Amino acid sequence: MSKPVPLSKLDEKEFIVPANSACQGCAGSIVARIVSKVIGEDMVRQEVACCGPAFGNITQPVFYGEVFEGAGAMMTGFARAFNRLGRDDIRVTGIIGDGGTTDIGFQGLSASAERNEDMLWVCYDNEAYMNTGGQRSSATTKFAATTTTPVGEFSRGKKERKKPLPILVGVHRVPYMATASVAYPEDFIGKLQYAKPVKGFRFIQVSAPCPTGWNYDPRYSVKVAKEMVLSGLWPLYEVVEGALRITYKPKELKPVKDVLRSQGRFRHITDEEVDEIQGEVDEFWGRLQEKDGGPLF
Amino acid sequence: MAKFEVMVGNKAVAYAAKLARVKYVSAFPITPQTTIVQYLADMIANGELDADYVNMEGELSCQSSAMTAATTVRSFTATSGPGLLYMHHPMHMTTWARLPLVMAVVHRSTKGMQPDQMDTMSQRDTGWLMIECQNSQELLDTGIMSFKIAEDERVRLPTIFMGDGYILSYTSEPVELPAQEEVDAFLPPYKRPYPMFPEEAKEAMALMSQMWNPFVDPQNVWKQQQEAAMNAKTVIREVNAEFEKWFGRSYGNGLVEEYKCEGVEAVLVAMGTIASTAKTAIDQLQRDGRKVGLVAIKSFKPFPDDDFQRIGADVKAMGVIDRNVSTGTLGGITFTELRHSLYDLDERPMTLNFHAGMRGKEVRVEDIKRMAEKTLKAARGEKVTPLVEWA
Ligand SMILES: Cc1ncc(C[n+]2csc(CCOP(=O)(O)OP(=O)(O)O)c2C)c(N)n1
Repeated sequence: MSKPVPLSKLDEKEFIVPANSACQGCAGSIVARIVSKVIGEDMVRQEVACCGPAFGNITQPVFYGEVFEGAGAMMTGFARAFNRLGRDDIRVTGIIGDGGTTDIGFQGLSASAERNEDMLWVCYDNEAYMNTGGQRSSATTKFAATTTTPVGEFSRGKKERKKPLPILVGVHRVPYMATASVAYPEDFIGKLQYAKPVKGFRFIQVSAPCPTGWNYDPRYSVKVAKEMVLSGLWPLYEVVEGALRITYKPKELKPVKDVLRSQGRFRHITDEEVDEIQGEVDEFWGRLQEKDGGPLF
Repeated sequence: MAKFEVMVGNKAVAYAAKLARVKYVSAFPITPQTTIVQYLADMIANGELDADYVNMEGELSCQSSAMTAATTVRSFTATSGPGLLYMHHPMHMTTWARLPLVMAVVHRSTKGMQPDQMDTMSQRDTGWLMIECQNSQELLDTGIMSFKIAEDERVRLPTIFMGDGYILSYTSEPVELPAQEEVDAFLPPYKRPYPMFPEEAKEAMALMSQMWNPFVDPQNVWKQQQEAAMNAKTVIREVNAEFEKWFGRSYGNGLVEEYKCEGVEAVLVAMGTIASTAKTAIDQLQRDGRKVGLVAIKSFKPFPDDDFQRIGADVKAMGVIDRNVSTGTLGGITFTELRHSLYDLDERPMTLNFHAGMRGKEVRVEDIKRMAEKTLKAARGEKVTPLVEWA
């Protein structure tokens, strides 16, 4: 189980180059900074098409595979080849968008998890295809306006609920699966530190709000991320070899209403729609609490 | 010591990978390739080959993982028809990253399971070298040579060696297996082509920034690939000649095999098993006094332009048999490339085209003899129509 570790406890060394071409307030670059600090010298990184090349200029070897769909397979090739040469000290790490993880990359994700490949897959979840201009992904929350699920007379935004990816990965019974948030770096760092030396498939999905796509003031990325955790929209938990543990329990969940309304992408939603999401959040949080400390399934 | 064994083409392919001591094999079943990866699985299970063998979840992943593995160890994968089509996207990436991955393709049509060249021809411009084989021995030998060609510093391009499904994959022939020590001497251990280890971060970053530098001409990637593919003509000839020294076998000059072409007025041009059937046709025709020979294309990429210019200057007509089609273009793909090679000649031979063997349609000795007669007629200056026909 992971133990929270504050950023100030980490080595001062940075692996990310200060200047990058990310948007203002990009939470993805927080993910890249923290991952590169924790995995550091031992990292070889896989990158696919996503915002990563813009926000993640990390000074460790990287293979940018334009194969958007291929993260799982490409990391498999690296992990196998390094291990074959006795280099099991190398941490094959992917910082991959939600699209490259839950949609086009899902087959490779599931297959790598099933084969228990020796890799750390960090999915920064900005809930859409942001690099191409904010189109819906299966990680987008219901009712969110995106550029391909716009709001109009005949449309209320995204029609489907968010794919429960952490659970789907968890039921593969991989050695490690966790959710994290850029608003809780000590929790995220603890999870990365736990995952780093583990052999086999490790997966962390990090909530990484995107001001450009979600339409809020860029200065509030961490605040938005924090409210998502506090309201139960993004619970923090981990699954180790099939056993679930909630890693952060707000005493009482904040209502989702204000959290949603603070983001431009939800500005249109009605009270009934808010209630629908609130119902789902309460139900999921209830189930998580029931399972806390026991098997995921 | 070399030894003989009767084996099907797919087993010969598996032996090529084994003798090359591949360290990474990605596998996914598709007829008629499947038994290649089954043989390799057995070899690994029996301890005859020490390699990582990964049962992938599809060919896209076979290609993607063999690509990244090839940054570090000698890697191999194999496929057919639809599996190859599914690999298309990462195949471009493998070339772009200049990784000397070697892949066996057992031709299968894009429709049905029988062979034609639509699978590899659909990958024509992915930048892979493509070397065709006519029999099982040639598959084994070409497989071994492919690693040496692909890994040569002057080339460093991914390479396909290929042969027709069923006709080769499941047909038994005696094959001479070279001794492992000799193959080891011929094919030195793999050199990691990339600085991918964390301690090589500086070199790796330099390489990346070179690839991504916006001030570098964006066309350079292809310019360099093109230079490498053209260098491959020399390298293929050298490797073919060196193979002959070690193992006593070679395949024409490595790029084309000229069969009974001395003093002929016309030649047929063919690839793969059609070329091997055509040899029988040529034998019979020459016995009857017909002055026609055969040029078997061994290397489709790089395309042997120089050889065709030399041969084209000596004959009056060339009849090209294409087991492929490029709809919307006058003729088949080798026909088109061949005519392109001949364009600069002062005196060009007549060129005819025969589409044949699509979806495994049988191409008999009789069919080929008829094509040869038509080509000879053109060589005599008689008018022949149509220029391009469906045989
Ligand atoms: C095969 C393929 N399809 C589509 C694209 C276009 N594309 C590039 S990045 C991207 C979206 C990536 O989304 P995600 O993985 O969520 O990462 P983000 O952009 O949000 O960082 C898309 C659709 C592509 N590069 N390759």
